[in-house]
Amino acid sequence: MGFGDISWLSRDATDPGGFAIGQAVAHLTASLDDSLRVFGEFSVTARDNEYKGAIERLIVRYDFSDTFKLSGGRYHSPIGYWNSAFHHGAWLQTTVSRPEMAKFGSKIMPIHFVGVLLEGSIPKNKLGLSYMAGFGNGRHENIVQGGDAGDINGDNAWMLQLNASPSRFFGLKTGIGYYSDKVTPSDRPEINEQTFSAYVAWEKENPEFIAEYLHSKHENVTDSSVSGNVDAWYVQFAYRLAAQKRQWKPYVRYELNDVDDTNPLLGDQGLNYEAAILGVRWDFSDYAALKGEYRNEEFDNGGREDNFRLQVSFVLTKL
Amino acid sequence: MNVAIAALAVVSMLCPLDVVVAQESDASNAIAIVVHKSTEVDNLSLHELRNIFLANQQFWPDRTRIILLVRAPKSEERDFVLNTIYQMDEAQFRQYWIAKMFRAEVPRGPKIVFSTDMMLDLVVAIPGSISFINANEMTDDVKVVRVDGKLPTDEGYPLK
Repeated sequence: MGFGDISWLSRDATDPGGFAIGQAVAHLTASLDDSLRVFGEFSVTARDNEYKGAIERLIVRYDFSDTFKLSGGRYHSPIGYWNSAFHHGAWLQTTVSRPEMAKFGSKIMPIHFVGVLLEGSIPKNKLGLSYMAGFGNGRHENIVQGGDAGDINGDNAWMLQLNASPSRFFGLKTGIGYYSDKVTPSDRPEINEQTFSAYVAWEKENPEFIAEYLHSKHENVTDSSVSGNVDAWYVQFAYRLAAQKRQWKPYVRYELNDVDDTNPLLGDQGLNYEAAILGVRWDFSDYAALKGEYRNEEFDNGGREDNFRLQVSFVLTKL
Repeated sequence: MNVAIAALAVVSMLCPLDVVVAQESDASNAIAIVVHKSTEVDNLSLHELRNIFLANQQFWPDRTRIILLVRAPKSEERDFVLNTIYQMDEAQFRQYWIAKMFRAEVPRGPKIVFSTDMMLDLVVAIPGSISFINANEMTDDVKVVRVDGKLPTDEGYPLK
């Protein structure tokens, strides 16, 4: 199975825009027995003058039961909703792109995590409670990367996420999470990072609703008076039209990233962002979709931009 | 004697015999949930059944992995199950399983079967399997699971 996408971008700012091949993503699953399996996700991404291959996820998992599933490997960090719901499958998500706070290469959210994860569901409960608890390498000294070759400061990251899918409201999923790490960037002192996240998602399409909030606190390890927060959130609403028009799914999203100037990790990185997005998705095939988006965006308080994106996304599988 | 006849007439008026028979045995509109005979489950709530069909529950209590068998598109049984249990249309059902596999939450999607006979053969052959069938086509080779404590022939059976 795999995913791919091809986009056309237009920016009224300095970037030239034009066509872009997104990511080509392949994944494999091997069940070694009833309880043991291996999952891999591999991507090839177009850069300015080259293609870059990456192991996005590589997971070995043993299922003891529905309540205890232990795995090790490289993951998308189970923080909030989007990062572990849509992964690299542009076709799976309604919109052209991920929210800015959860984009690949985000400095706000640690997208990848290498370590072990214990997850499972609590049996016999109508709230549909489940959990994910992870322990492993924190961010790399280049903070957009996970610690693929080990934790750089010996102080591991850990995370806990609790989710609920109540049977009474079939389609509703909600959760809260906590992430903690000590970050050692290459160009500044060590910083303690704590992130709280919360989300609510209505996973049906009439309507579809996703709201996600993330609050991070970064504090200088040796001087706690040097600290600052990040507040990032988005709200997305979509509606699949009925009957003969069901191929069409209009959507809107509003998102905001607010980084304190005093934040010792991110305050000088130009990460403030605000966007209002209006788009429509057209599922012209069972396995492919065309999406068009108008985006009114402001990067780092630099004035509003009117941008457009078109994307063809597809999935390579048959079900 | 006249009193007895009159009483019988009143009962038959209030509760006609053919209606009683129909309530107890009419399974023509019902979908039965069937499992492999070794499965140690006799009853599932509709909530539990939905969790199994959504692959949120992937193991039986004895730790046997649940193998879900689903009829191919354009069968009445599949349409019924998509409407009542999944509450999805075909496109949503497809996307649901692709997402589930891509999130590494399941090793594979449901096994697709193309006829009632094929489905019955597989449920008989595969320990841990579960599927659905028109209740009129059940055989003794598979085990029928009660849903919310009711069999397909019972009044108030939820999958009718």
